Amino acid sequence: MVQFVFLDWLWIVFFLALMIGCGVLFYRLGKRSESDFFLAGRGLPWWLPASSVYATHTATDTPMWITGVIYQHGLAGIWYTFFSAWCAISAFVSTRIFRRSLAYTQAEWQSLRFGGLGSELLRGWLAGWQVFMNMFILGWVGIAMGKVCNYMFDWPVWVGLICFSSICAIYVLSAGYWGVIMADFQQGIIAFAAIIIVSVWGVIAAGGPQAIVTGLADLGQSWRLNPFHFSGWLSGDFPGAWFITMLVIALIGGFGMGTSIDWYAEAQRIQSARTVRDASYSIWWGTALVVVRNSIWAAAILGFFVLFPNIQEASEYELGWFRLGLDFLPAGLLGFFFAAILAIHLSTISTHLNLGGMYATRDIYHHYINPEAPEKRLIWVGRFTTLLLLLGSFVFGLMMEEITKWLIFALWIMAAGVWLPNILQVIWWRFNAWGYLSAWIANLGLSWLVVWVLPAFRVIPEMPDYLQFWALMVLTALIYLPVTFLTRTEDMDHLVKYYVMSRPIGFWGPVRREAERRGLLEQVTHIE
Amino acid sequence: MALIRRKWTPAAADEWTREDWITIVLSPLAYITLAIGVALSIFLLKIGFIVLGAGVVLTALMHWVIDPKLKTISEDYEKKQKDYLEELEKIIRWEEIK
Repeated sequence: MVQFVFLDWLWIVFFLALMIGCGVLFYRLGKRSESDFFLAGRGLPWWLPASSVYATHTATDTPMWITGVIYQHGLAGIWYTFFSAWCAISAFVSTRIFRRSLAYTQAEWQSLRFGGLGSELLRGWLAGWQVFMNMFILGWVGIAMGKVCNYMFDWPVWVGLICFSSICAIYVLSAGYWGVIMADFQQGIIAFAAIIIVSVWGVIAAGGPQAIVTGLADLGQSWRLNPFHFSGWLSGDFPGAWFITMLVIALIGGFGMGTSIDWYAEAQRIQSARTVRDASYSIWWGTALVVVRNSIWAAAILGFFVLFPNIQEASEYELGWFRLGLDFLPAGLLGFFFAAILAIHLSTISTHLNLGGMYATRDIYHHYINPEAPEKRLIWVGRFTTLLLLLGSFVFGLMMEEITKWLIFALWIMAAGVWLPNILQVIWWRFNAWGYLSAWIANLGLSWLVVWVLPAFRVIPEMPDYLQFWALMVLTALIYLPVTFLTRTEDMDHLVKYYVMSRPIGFWGPVRREAERRGLLEQVTHIE
Repeated sequence: MALIRRKWTPAAADEWTREDWITIVLSPLAYITLAIGVALSIFLLKIGFIVLGAGVVLTALMHWVIDPKLKTISEDYEKKQKDYLEELEKIIRWEEIK
């Protein structure tokens, strides 16, 4: 158990007052309109959503799993964190296309890209799925905070879960996305400062940079400094084939929308940026900070490995980075460290509370239940659904031990079989709503078969996860491609309108020609 | 014709061009080199500083290539945004559904 002195408590009280103060300060801006409550009026300079991208993707559980993979695989474990690099291409491709669509949410984008009944089914499905997913993520991250508080103060896990998510809800309910983004900016700075301080302290505690390199050599573990140390091309628990699959998923995924679970939160940041350029830079620079942060963590964890090289239990070494802070920081700075833990926690919680509320309000209530709702009512519905998400997350969090395996499987469902359709919907004019919908449905059944049912009955061998990805990608294509070709193309008027507004990349020849025939595209003139 | 175009008309900037594809290649390389470079530089390894330097250069080059085009796209698009937003509100109220 950790002992705090007066100065430590002062840090925490000061920090919480600052966060809740945000809610009060931006209350008036948040209640102006639906656009303000969920997108801060679409007027933010790039560095504000960038800090939010960074802060949101620094959650309480993030240092745990990064510590886990680095302790296990050395510096090469950094590639486990590289899925966030989908933003490398997305920032200049799908971000640009999505920002030009002006859709509040990915669900709303479906009704701009596709038309008719298919698009409405997709919008409803994605909205419901996202409300569920945000509640799940809130529970997952919330219970991680419960465990940290249990480790530090011996509190029951539910105390950490309920207490800090509820404090966060104060400014999210008050100011909506204005509160989220302004708090994220401060939280991002506090968290980054703490990550550097604790990591540097950890490296010094391990004897300094040179001592870590020498220490690894003495332990016969110098390979841990090689970022490309794999267990073989196809063999072992960390093969090169996995690395190549990861690069494909992350980088090529940037051409699509929804190829990463993080897309849905980034989509909100993209739309809150004041211009297309601001949107692109917010995503690129926010993720660049994530990439750099992971490397700083990785170096500190190698220091932790030199200090404690023989930990076998994952649950024990996963707390490595926290231990560097808690065991080695002096009294007085411990409170700052805990305030930083609170910062990374609140930034994630606030994002998912507001994001889930946006899907529930914009796509379900506003579009399907009360299309004529006035702005004031929409903001109150936003607040009410945010509160429901908070309460639902407590239930999820408290039953997380039992359902985690199921829900990680649910996340995998999102990633594998619909990965390519998520790209096709952006780059290929002929891909229609029925093709995309059938991909989701097919993937739901096929992933059960490929991951669990067929291996259990020994029909197929149990495959490593990267092979499951390729298998699911091919198998679902065998269903959605025939469905696409056997059903009608989207209405040309609808496609032309979408094309002129969004100017998507890829195979849009027939739509472009039709737009040109109607005189909707300006002639290109060359200026050199 | 210059390899990298620095002046754009709104119509030309709306097209997907060589500058976009150069950015699409540079951007992941920048992330990869920054990731490796930062980690190895903390251990004061020479290779770390070299890779980190490459990451900084790639990042600067990427911005130099794409920024004029992004500026033109943004300026032109913001003029049309108000009309598009009005359409979006009609769709949510089912006024555009045929």
